[in-house]
Amino acid sequence: MDIVMPQLGETVAEGTLTVWHKKPGERIESGDVLFEVETDKVDTEVPAPAPGVLSEILVEEGETVVVGTKIGILQADGEDAPAPAAEAVVETPARAPEKAENSPAMAGKADAAAPPLSPVVRKLLAEHGLKPSDVTGSGLGGRIKKQDIEAHIAAHIAVMGDAYSVDGEPPAADRVIVPFTKIRKRTADHMVASKATSPHVLQAVEVDFHRIAAVRAAKGADWKAREGFSLTFLPFIAHAACRAIQEFPHVNASVDGDALVVWRDIGLGIAVDLGPDGLVAPVIRRAAGRSVADLARAINDLSSRARNNALTADDVSGGTYTLSNSGSFGTLITAPIINQPQVAILSTDGIFKKPVVVESDAGDSIVIRPIGVLAQSFDHRAIDGAYSARFLKRVKQLIETDDWSGALA
Amino acid sequence: MAELTYRDAVAAGIAQEMRRDDRVVFLGEDVAAAGGVFKATVGLLDEFGPVRVRDTPISEQAILGAAMGAAMTGLRPIAEIMFSDFLAVCWDLVANEIAKSRYMTNGQLECPLVIRTANGGGSRFGAQHSQSVENWAMAVPGIKVVAPSTAADVKGLLAAAVRDPDPVLFFEHKSLYATKGEVPDDDHVDELGKAKVLRRGDDVTIVALAAMVPRSVAAAEILASEHGISATVIDVRSLVPLDTRTILTEVVKTGRLVTVEENPRLCGWGAEIASIVADECFYDLDGPVVRITTPHIPLPSADHLEDLAMPSVTRIVETVRTRMD
Repeated sequence: MDIVMPQLGETVAEGTLTVWHKKPGERIESGDVLFEVETDKVDTEVPAPAPGVLSEILVEEGETVVVGTKIGILQADGEDAPAPAAEAVVETPARAPEKAENSPAMAGKADAAAPPLSPVVRKLLAEHGLKPSDVTGSGLGGRIKKQDIEAHIAAHIAVMGDAYSVDGEPPAADRVIVPFTKIRKRTADHMVASKATSPHVLQAVEVDFHRIAAVRAAKGADWKAREGFSLTFLPFIAHAACRAIQEFPHVNASVDGDALVVWRDIGLGIAVDLGPDGLVAPVIRRAAGRSVADLARAINDLSSRARNNALTADDVSGGTYTLSNSGSFGTLITAPIINQPQVAILSTDGIFKKPVVVESDAGDSIVIRPIGVLAQSFDHRAIDGAYSARFLKRVKQLIETDDWSGALA
Repeated sequence: MAELTYRDAVAAGIAQEMRRDDRVVFLGEDVAAAGGVFKATVGLLDEFGPVRVRDTPISEQAILGAAMGAAMTGLRPIAEIMFSDFLAVCWDLVANEIAKSRYMTNGQLECPLVIRTANGGGSRFGAQHSQSVENWAMAVPGIKVVAPSTAADVKGLLAAAVRDPDPVLFFEHKSLYATKGEVPDDDHVDELGKAKVLRRGDDVTIVALAAMVPRSVAAAEILASEHGISATVIDVRSLVPLDTRTILTEVVKTGRLVTVEENPRLCGWGAEIASIVADECFYDLDGPVVRITTPHIPLPSADHLEDLAMPSVTRIVETVRTRMD
């Protein structure tokens, strides 16, 4: 079987073979790293497509060749010795990071040497993130059967159960297995990917919300009567954040390779809780320059549509910065996970009346003020602590000192 | 509940419906005075008299022509075609008239007619008296096709067929007439278009019809006790309408489908189910769909050849066992 330079990403035309992990004549098992490729986007380890023996190397380390070039020959198990003319060309499945989300599909890819996988086996492998090599097949010629995967999963759960169960009791009886819904699974995958991609740093500021509280006290009832929903702190915070972003645009950005892509518009994501199913972050497009009232209506519209499962694909794309709001539950501080590929996310938590020291020309005094914490997680690849801190200070300053009385006009 | 033979359940079902509804009449060759060549209609003439229970000339066209006219003009006839092979003699009436009358008259004519017939092999009757022709019937739009495997289902499904407003072809199986089972005494009506799950297993779903049902159940028991293979067995009972929901649900659970069909292989009903399963639950299959059928041959009359041709318990066990890996 020919080994060819894999296509590592849609736009990649060629790759440099950096390392051969096997020498000619060496035995290879399916899934062993066979060679490494460097492209302008990624460095990738490429696994062997089938078990066998590496019979020939045609492209040496350091050479750059176009995608599809034959770089070596694998004598796959069961394949006749010296390859006849009409042998199949099998593209090596690439383990490229940008294909990571497609990796379960690899499990279904026909493996020239292994017995075929049935439809349900392919489905189960993909659902459980397993590779064919993870499971021992009990069928004809080692074919993996549905029961083999079920047994593998059961054994896996049993092992996990042993770690938690006391007195060696059967693990199944003391727990309920709740399968992930699609959105729960997407949320989970996204969170893991985000933590793996971005070095998160958390910074928080304490903010005095008394000016906004005063506006809500004065105009909240009218607003609710007119608009049909409550006026919360969130649109004010969104407004302040958008203005601060315009002064500190690097928080409104994405990392692309060795560059920071700084967006001119703000696509303000609003994280909305969907209960146990997970969460979504629909986006207010072109949020910069919008009034508080406008933002309030947009937030209400998106969150109610999110809860009614009525968001469109457009509603959830184009986000450049995200607000996560746990305030209604009275949390003190939340360390949010960045909504990739963004570089920062701001959490707004509970706002409570507290005694605070206020300085004035007449001397210090203690007054009662509504105080809350704004916490930002940022991607330390993109910006540093000082930049983030200056941004947070500006948000705090706007909320504390701006004249919000005309905000709803 | 009373224990009845499959054959007695036929008479019990017809009698139940004739008592309930004066419009139900019954006609066929030797069905009245002789009580049927398979003795499945004994006693009906005595109870209901020669107007409602009639012997006819040896003419399948006359039987179905009369029954069709009666159905179109307000009666609820049950017509017997002695051997299902003879449906070929009157197939124009079935396929072109009875099946299409509601459609072609835009519903002005109804044809609430039940055609009962003795179907299937195993009785050494030769190639012209042993065929399983349910797949002929299944191929004609406009008729319902029912084939019970137990005495209780004979009574319940026959009653449902009589009460149905459209024509139903009701296949009784010759080799099941002597089998016995518990049958509800009183008014017993089943539902057309519902399959029955007879046993549940984890490894394979066996779908069978009529005489192949008891053979499949027996095979499933051997597979479980001797080979450690646990099988679900479904009695299809009704080919049209077909209970795809039950079949698909059970196939998804085991990931495997085996059909056991007495009809000759080409275009047997199992091919239709295999096609539906491939279409609707391909990604839940863990192996090829396997069809166990009579080969595509005229059924031999010699004992050992007929036994060899029809799917046997042994053949079902061996086929399932060797196709599980």
